[in-house]
Amino acid sequence: MSEPILEITGLNKSFGPVHVLHDVDFTVRAGEVTALVGDNGAGKSTLVKCIAGIHPIDGGEVRFNGQVAHIHGPRDAAELGIEVVYQDLALADNLDIVQNMFLGRERGGAWLLDEADMERAARETLASLSVRTVKSVRTPVSALSGGQRQTVAIAKAVLWDSKVVLLDEPTAALGVAQTRQVLDLVRRLAEQGLGVVLISHNMADVFEVADRIATLYLGRMVAEVPTRDVTHAQVVELITAGRSGELGLARPETATV
Amino acid sequence: MTSTPTAGARPDEVRRHNRTALLRRLHIEGPTTRAALATELGLNRSTIKALVDGLAETGVVEERVPRARSGAGRPSLLVLPQPLAAVVLAVDIRVEQVAMALVGLGGEMLGRNSWNLRGKAREPDEVITHIIESMRVLADELGVRTIAAGVSVPGVVRRSDGFVHEAPNLQWTGVPLGDRLGAALGIPIRVGNDAEIAALAEHLRGVARGSLDAVYVSADIGVGGGVISDGATLSGTAGYVGELGHMVVNPTGRHCYCGSRGCWETEVGEVALCRALDLPEGSPRGAVVAELRALSAAPAEAERKLAEFSEWLVLGLVNVVNAFSPELVVLGDLFTSLPVPLVKRVGDEVGRRSLVSRAIGGTRILASTMGADCKLIGAAELAFETVLGAV
Repeated sequence: MSEPILEITGLNKSFGPVHVLHDVDFTVRAGEVTALVGDNGAGKSTLVKCIAGIHPIDGGEVRFNGQVAHIHGPRDAAELGIEVVYQDLALADNLDIVQNMFLGRERGGAWLLDEADMERAARETLASLSVRTVKSVRTPVSALSGGQRQTVAIAKAVLWDSKVVLLDEPTAALGVAQTRQVLDLVRRLAEQGLGVVLISHNMADVFEVADRIATLYLGRMVAEVPTRDVTHAQVVELITAGRSGELGLARPETATV
Repeated sequence: MTSTPTAGARPDEVRRHNRTALLRRLHIEGPTTRAALATELGLNRSTIKALVDGLAETGVVEERVPRARSGAGRPSLLVLPQPLAAVVLAVDIRVEQVAMALVGLGGEMLGRNSWNLRGKAREPDEVITHIIESMRVLADELGVRTIAAGVSVPGVVRRSDGFVHEAPNLQWTGVPLGDRLGAALGIPIRVGNDAEIAALAEHLRGVARGSLDAVYVSADIGVGGGVISDGATLSGTAGYVGELGHMVVNPTGRHCYCGSRGCWETEVGEVALCRALDLPEGSPRGAVVAELRALSAAPAEAERKLAEFSEWLVLGLVNVVNAFSPELVVLGDLFTSLPVPLVKRVGDEVGRRSLVSRAIGGTRILASTMGADCKLIGAAELAFETVLGAV
């Protein structure tokens, strides 16, 4: 098997006295959808934010493409090719699709932006994902539906030639039909060879798109298993109890009756 | 396609024929000016006007003044097909997943969905139920009614009623897919072999556009082919042409599930590719694509790892070219991720070894540019074929 694109070993993170992530190991492989599941407060979003460079990590090693990487800020992550799509549709409402896709990384000289070039690139990217639901790339984002916004946010990752895309509950705020569209897009990203991490609470969604499932339980990574090897019930057990049969945390050996 | 040779035609038949021809042209080529329509269809300008007016009245097309002007005089009106005027359902059943889309007139994908097939989800009942449910969700979202459906299946399919005889990689046998979907959805359903459908897509909208004789070869888990001969799909008795993956190329090779030994599929299919790349069998598609992409950046390694694979590819393609004498062979699906120089080399080698290719001045071997949606697009076209006349 080829090397994982992103490999995290022994990651620790505390906020003051609260130890949020304990020795977390996590791998992302190119071309696969890895679902990251866990109960509220298990540390899913924190883990993603650590990878994205928003929270500095306290200890542990991050290897990207086999090389040790030091991520000190979102810019470092973006340079490596890690893109994050947040659950709250983090786009600037007052800007249009092109401006959002190029936000902070505009093309052109110091005095004049190359609008035509950016518009063309944005249109080509959306077309390559066969996203044709957006009428014009100059539509302000405020006029888009939730699903369309998520699509724009995900297309951004493709435009920047990202290697790893982290999606933090991309469908949490969407209706049924729009959820389908976004999940379809998620799968197609992986088929293009990107490493995709999907955080989701919806088990049906997870089983429909994920190749592997990683479960966090109270800040510990209790299992990282191929989807085909586990059942729905096992994953729910892992999320709620941290173990299921042979999977997950070891049973406390000192258990007394 | 829709024209039937008749001894004589009544005016209303002629009109219907012209109307269908015009719609087909708008559907495939997109917005066109009235003047261009008149030239290309060889019809009188007033005939075009009458047809377009009729279509505009029912909301199937819209007319607009073109933005860019060409030449002097009053600009000819641009005729735009309206996607929502006719929506069909396209379904692409693959071994690992099902993808579906609602496609509007003009080929625009209006909504889509896909899901993985694992274990029980692969059973025909589950797949059919899921398709029906998803279609309702997508159609409700758009507020449209679908008028036909096209389904692509990786197996042997009877054209007339969409009966799936055998889809070995899905482990389906004897599934009346067309009848069951038709009964549930109440619309005409057309089911076709996946490679045949992909060939149709390439012929109408892809790199084989304008080629009258083309062969499409694709590698998924299985290898299949579709043949366009003299501008139409070559189907053979009951429509079973195209099992190119089961040409025996290596009599001492691996056993194939079809009962034969050393089929082309066992040497150039996804499993063979995984073997060549040292990936475990059953790796997700994306992992194979990622590995191939990494290899594109390392030509020497690619050469070494894929040498045997490309030799088998050449061998099979020489047979295909010699048998069908196409001007173009389109490589689809997994083959599109092969390093570009490798495809070029394979093409050159086939040109050298194939007698027919030499005779017709070189058959071109190209990778498809449509990506993973090829079969969805083809399935939509299959559905449109039947209903364009009735829109």
